[in-house]
Amino acid sequence: MSEKFDVVVIGGGHNGLIHAAYLQRAGKKVLVLERRHVLGGAAVTEEVFPGFKFSVCSYVVSLLRPEIIRDLDLPRHGLEILPLDGTFTPMLNGDHLWRVNDHAKTRREIARHSRVDAEAYDEYGKAMADMGRFVKPILGMTPPDPTKLNWKGLQDLLFLGKRFRSLSGEDKYNQVQLMTMSAVDFLDQWFETDPLKATMSASGIIGTFLGVRSPGTAYVLLHHYMGDIDGAFRAWGFARGGTGAISNAIAAAASEEGVEIRTKAPIAKIKLQAGRATGVVLENGEEIDARIVSSSVDPRLTFMKMVGEKELPGDFVEDIKRYKFRGSSGKVNFALDALPDFRSLPGPGAHLRGAISISPSVEYMERAYDDAKYGRYSRRPYIDMVLPSLTDPSVAPPGKHVMSCFVQYAPYHLKDGDWDTEKEKFGDTVVDTIAEHAPNFKNIIRHRQVVTPLDLEREWGLSEGNIFQGELTLEQLFFLRPAPGWAQYRTPIRGLYMCGSATHPGGGIMGANGRNAAFKLLEDWKRGKA
Amino acid sequence: MAAQRDVVVIGAGPNGLTAAASLAKAGFHPVVLERRPVVGGVAVTEEFAPGFKVSSLLHAAGPFLPSIAAELDLAKHGLSFIQTEVRVLSPGGDGKAIALYSDPHKTASELERVSSHDAKGYLDFHATLGRIGRVLEPLLTMTPPDLDDPGLGAVWDLLGVGKKFRALPRRDAFRLLRWGPMAVADLVSEFFETELLRATVAARGIYGAFAGPWSAGTSLGLLLQAATDANAAGPASFVRGGMGALTQALASAAKAMGAEVRTNADVARIATRDGVAAGVVLTTGEEVPARAVVSTADPKRTLLALVDPVDLDPAFIQKVRNYRAHGALAKVHLALDGLPEFHGAKAAGGPNALSGRIHIGPDVDYLERAYDAAKYGDFSPHPYCDVTIPTLTDPQLAPSGKHVMSIAAQFAPHKLKGGWNGKRETLGDAVVETLAAFAPNLKSMITARQVLTPLDLEETYGLTGGHVFHGEHALDQLFTMRPILDWAQYRTPVRGLYLAGSGAHPGGGVTGAPGWNASREVAKALRR
Repeated sequence: MSEKFDVVVIGGGHNGLIHAAYLQRAGKKVLVLERRHVLGGAAVTEEVFPGFKFSVCSYVVSLLRPEIIRDLDLPRHGLEILPLDGTFTPMLNGDHLWRVNDHAKTRREIARHSRVDAEAYDEYGKAMADMGRFVKPILGMTPPDPTKLNWKGLQDLLFLGKRFRSLSGEDKYNQVQLMTMSAVDFLDQWFETDPLKATMSASGIIGTFLGVRSPGTAYVLLHHYMGDIDGAFRAWGFARGGTGAISNAIAAAASEEGVEIRTKAPIAKIKLQAGRATGVVLENGEEIDARIVSSSVDPRLTFMKMVGEKELPGDFVEDIKRYKFRGSSGKVNFALDALPDFRSLPGPGAHLRGAISISPSVEYMERAYDDAKYGRYSRRPYIDMVLPSLTDPSVAPPGKHVMSCFVQYAPYHLKDGDWDTEKEKFGDTVVDTIAEHAPNFKNIIRHRQVVTPLDLEREWGLSEGNIFQGELTLEQLFFLRPAPGWAQYRTPIRGLYMCGSATHPGGGIMGANGRNAAFKLLEDWKRGKA
Repeated sequence: MAAQRDVVVIGAGPNGLTAAASLAKAGFHPVVLERRPVVGGVAVTEEFAPGFKVSSLLHAAGPFLPSIAAELDLAKHGLSFIQTEVRVLSPGGDGKAIALYSDPHKTASELERVSSHDAKGYLDFHATLGRIGRVLEPLLTMTPPDLDDPGLGAVWDLLGVGKKFRALPRRDAFRLLRWGPMAVADLVSEFFETELLRATVAARGIYGAFAGPWSAGTSLGLLLQAATDANAAGPASFVRGGMGALTQALASAAKAMGAEVRTNADVARIATRDGVAAGVVLTTGEEVPARAVVSTADPKRTLLALVDPVDLDPAFIQKVRNYRAHGALAKVHLALDGLPEFHGAKAAGGPNALSGRIHIGPDVDYLERAYDAAKYGDFSPHPYCDVTIPTLTDPQLAPSGKHVMSIAAQFAPHKLKGGWNGKRETLGDAVVETLAAFAPNLKSMITARQVLTPLDLEETYGLTGGHVFHGEHALDQLFTMRPILDWAQYRTPVRGLYLAGSGAHPGGGVTGAPGWNASREVAKALRR
């Protein structure tokens, strides 16, 4: 039987598609298989209610690597990023904190709360930019294996060491702290305004099962600082047409290269022959042969479901079982008849065009985490909301709006009850929380879609509902992601590769995983080792 | 008058005395200045009620590094350690207890009754700690390298560690790398399924820390302990006569080697001449000149209170301020007229069940909740307690037939919401109530009680923030970063001023290593 494809890619999310596009460009014949009826994975736009288009899961973009945008010429394929200006934090005492891209304005606003913080804000921005620049090259590198260093691995480590040494004393100090401290401990060194610290620390916990005071969260803070859009560092934006438009642009680029893409093609298992991956079997029994199988779904699905424990070394199975998902967040998407009216800054205004962060104090954030630690969703959760219809009217009927709320914490494992029964109560909690700040909120809701961690698992194939395909904690990063010794996109099964968010450098719509994995695979192929 | 003194050591705790003894042995003439009327620092035995003596702060030795004890011949000066057969007794909420023995195989066979999975896991854990501990052990007595300018010696030392690391089985090598930043709650669940056992082992990672078992990085504590004592049960090394006997032996050794030890000598400031340390000035106004000043006071006290700020760069001062030393450990001492009975003790540990440490904290969530309270500035109504009854192995600490109970209770934050005024006894009550749930007859036996809050630890014992380890053992405050990145070689920006206390590598816990390592650096510099 002749092999039809060189590589079959499991999963049509952004990483799978990017991976495929790079492979096809290098002359391989590639097929992408997506289980759902739409492409995009967690980067998807769906018309959940007639006329209202939701970025159901991931909702803002910043981290997508610029070299990918360039290489795949994504703007030509329809990618347009609209700026998301600022972050508005309503406070319970009736005041607010509103930071915008206009630097002078933000400075004045912060000075209203604390003059010291206004000074520190500039320095902080500079320091984080430096740190981001230090870490960026690491994103594009294949992690070395520290237990069996070959010449290449040693060079990589030396490169990192040299880079570290070339940092200034202050930057070195900051870098070490960022790698190890809690977001709040780190921010405490710079700022005194509570809602400022709370809102900034929130980027340290997104998608993790950690609190703002947990060591290790400062790193996630940095992870979110590594994005740039059009060269503007640390800028966030929307994709016109919702997050799914990003996936569609990548898919268009991939198709143009010649990648074949099939939706509604759920995979039952990965075919093995003499310990080598030789293709996949779809749930309908159809078999597809390929020289290489590359999986962008998470390791639990890839190895436990599609490969099978007994085909794998015991140590590796143990590591994959131990790999922590622990989804901790949900989404609630609203179709609105009007705009929410915030008590602390009434009326419509530019503050609604950016992110609105329900993070009034550090203690509020930490208590939200405490609830989750003991197995319940936060009674008063952290919410990050955006109203994309204000910037991109195409996603809602005229005069109407869509509002996307990222909600944390919503632990996958509930101590009492299950998500099927708690789902709408969770939605009510979110509504109540928002209504405390925007009293008109309950009256303007037309529809609501609640996405629990269980939904993320069932519908989007994210184990335990983790949006990053596994926690971004130090023991699961770099040469430990997803398993010690298997951080180089290869797996114990020959001919099977990983290219999703569960590989270095982790989750978010970044695409580096798919790109790095493609290069690794091609390198192995050339050396006859794939 | 004895020889001209050339080195001033601030603080007569285990590290100050170790440094002094070591410097004297190397031919220098150190004088140790102790603020309190007694030597000892965090390792001190004091009478808290007539006839009842207790190790006021830390009640178990780190353990003190045997190599240092041998080098200074401390046995000759009266030091004698007590090792108990049962290291830890851990009563559960259900009236049953588990005992961890010095002998891991005995522990495993006892655990067999609870869970054979855990019995196997315990031996695996013990063996892993042993292998990892042997890799890390040389780090304890080395001076952390200066990253900008690693000397040949440091590179050599590190290569040695690197070689040992490479010799580890691959699985252990990855464990070592993975464990550092991990939450200890995750670590224990990789080995054990019994909640009580998980909590008992996890507690090792949070002892003395401002962190709960779910805080990332708490596994590091276990790795540090593995370097000194790799037993899975955790160190339970006591000193005959209480911890004070250790520092008495150290003081005696130091004096015998020619060091001078002065008590009631409170250093007001470190004197400098042209930015170089020139000695100290006592609160009495007395000046003590020296070629080098070796401070075993914590970094914040040394660099923020004793050094004149004009001698330091403001950016450096900021870093010292940011050094985290939020103590959350309180001590409660009870004089007892009998021996309390703990639920399940005899069944689990036999007649000597209580002679090691007694762990109170039946599940991981219990430990975490105890920590939660401290995050919001309260002390925990149900604290995690590490308890010893030293009179069981060392009857001289109390009148005949009576007992002393020493309780380290967490979490009680140094910065209590509303202040500690009037709260001391409320904390004492909470601790006693907590223990009484596991030892119902305890309350009727109490004849006297002493409560030391973290604020007391600061005011009486000079520990900034009341932190018994002179600062948190966190990833960013260890090794080349203890106390501050680029200043981990025991030097400070003030030439001639050295740090030799627990705020320097390898940190707190009465190992003697910071003092030992620092004295080596001081001697090197003075000979130059």
